[in-house]
Amino acid sequence: MSDQLISDQEFDKFAEFFYRKTGIKFDKSKRYFVDKRVAERVKATDSESFRHYFTTLRFQASGEELQKLTNLLTVNETYFMREDYQFRCLIDSMLPDVITRHDPNKPIRIWCIPSSSGEEPYSIAMYLLEEWDGIDKWDVELIASDIDTQILETAKRGIYSERSIRNVPSTWKRRYFRDVTGGQQVIEDIRDAVEFTRVNLSEPADVRAMRNIDIIFCRNLLIYFDDLSRKVAAEYMFEALSPGGYICLGHTESMGRISPLYRVKKFPAAIVYQRPLEAK
Amino acid sequence: MALKKSNTTAPEETQSSQRDCSEISKDLISEDPSKRRWAARDIVSCAHASVMLLDQLEAEKDMSVKQVILSSLTQIGDTEAVNGLVRCLRTEDVSLRNEAIEAMKHLPREVASIMASLLNDPDPDVRIFAVNILESLCHPDVEQWLIDVIRDDEHVNVCATAVDLLGEVGSEKSEPALLALKERFTDEPYIQFAADLAIKRIIGS
Amino acid sequence: MKVLIVDDASTVRMYHRNVLEAAGYVVDEAVNGLEALEKALENTFDLYIVDINMPKMDGYEFLMQLRSEDIDQAPAIMVSTEAAELDHTKAFTAGANLYMVKPIKPLQMMTYVRLLVGEESV
Repeated sequence: MSDQLISDQEFDKFAEFFYRKTGIKFDKSKRYFVDKRVAERVKATDSESFRHYFTTLRFQASGEELQKLTNLLTVNETYFMREDYQFRCLIDSMLPDVITRHDPNKPIRIWCIPSSSGEEPYSIAMYLLEEWDGIDKWDVELIASDIDTQILETAKRGIYSERSIRNVPSTWKRRYFRDVTGGQQVIEDIRDAVEFTRVNLSEPADVRAMRNIDIIFCRNLLIYFDDLSRKVAAEYMFEALSPGGYICLGHTESMGRISPLYRVKKFPAAIVYQRPLEAK
Repeated sequence: MALKKSNTTAPEETQSSQRDCSEISKDLISEDPSKRRWAARDIVSCAHASVMLLDQLEAEKDMSVKQVILSSLTQIGDTEAVNGLVRCLRTEDVSLRNEAIEAMKHLPREVASIMASLLNDPDPDVRIFAVNILESLCHPDVEQWLIDVIRDDEHVNVCATAVDLLGEVGSEKSEPALLALKERFTDEPYIQFAADLAIKRIIGS
Repeated sequence: MKVLIVDDASTVRMYHRNVLEAAGYVVDEAVNGLEALEKALENTFDLYIVDINMPKMDGYEFLMQLRSEDIDQAPAIMVSTEAAELDHTKAFTAGANLYMVKPIKPLQMMTYVRLLVGEESV
């Protein structure tokens, strides 16, 4: 076998397939990164060659291998203020639009799925308190869900490393974190403001309970689903959203690969997806 | 006014999946699109679900309900569902046609048994859609079907669609047919380009 | 001059790209109408070359939204595998400026493109 596991032609073929499946584009400059991870999977699956592996990847009915490879090829570190241009968009564009048709006696509902270890919902809570003047007039409910109950416990404890909070402005750090053994803990007021619940986005009964949501943050989750589950999940989120409500996906994800149910909406800070106000 | 803990995550309505099938089938034709969507999901476990879903798909005007019906038909994936999806390939509704193609891509076993007849359909558009379906069909005969298409199909666009896919799934086995195709359509630059690209990729593997 | 090619077949996108780039145009690609709408919202294009049959959002729907939501009024060429009269009418109603039937010859494509956006200086 030559040193090069994947030929140039094979790389092109693979890159196109992966792009079609996930919307993530790898050009030649990413070869080292991609080759290394693909080689890892070729070995792990006992494939004789890349070609053999590619056949498994492409034709495996369960799509399990594609998901494993996707996991490897998408670096998914969560930290405070990650992709915060979307929080900017929340404050500057989505919330101002949502309140134009919202019942003033009812709370605005924001749903984070996956909650993961809590960095995202807590970041949003801080953004709302620090940056949104509407917080004086409106009640906001923050719901954070995950399929993994253990990670929900971690999220509720709210203790983080310095690395995880490195992007939090220092004034916010002083206001919202306390030194504890093992790191920095989010203060109780903020921890109490988030409702953590277990939800499986593929389970009808779980999603049925989610109603009247105004804004969903569903970042870097659907990428790990197969095509059909992704489409079905987008349909469930449509149900959970109020008409005119918004969804934010991760920066490598596009609703264009998932479902035609939503309108793409461009705001100055971000592109987001909206459940249409009336039926199409 | 402030951040407030939610206490309304419990179901607001008793609209549970425990309803019986006759109730669900009534909801499927309800005035309310939200009821129709939930019925289209819940009906999956009922007898003759595909028939009811296909009837509603034909009558349905709301895009969001259509989408859920198509997802449910894909999940059921029985003969009835597949036959209904095949009928969709012949409709004038472009988006429904394309959605039916997407749905059928998820049903390799069921679609495989009718693939030969789709690839021999008198309507070249249906043959093109059949090749589109092959794209995601996890089936051992995919390459052979594509070889047969580029060797025998007289319609240049059916062949063009097949060549695009052969570049991805083809092996050395496809090479003679690709060369023969180039001979058949010497005056079509697109075919020359696509066949050369496919050959290059096959040899490069 | 920047052209957006909207087609779900990768070989077709590559072919169009080759022809256009050889003539000095800058090319971007989208795999369906939804992705094309996102690109049109984020960039400015001088021309769109749009296939009809694509998953998630077809070419008609894309052009209709592009025009009706006033995202872009730049010229668009609709590309189809069918030559039926019905398609022509639908394409123009949706907002296409020209209509081409696949397979496309480079000379024909460049004639149409130049007709709509003029010569690109290389």
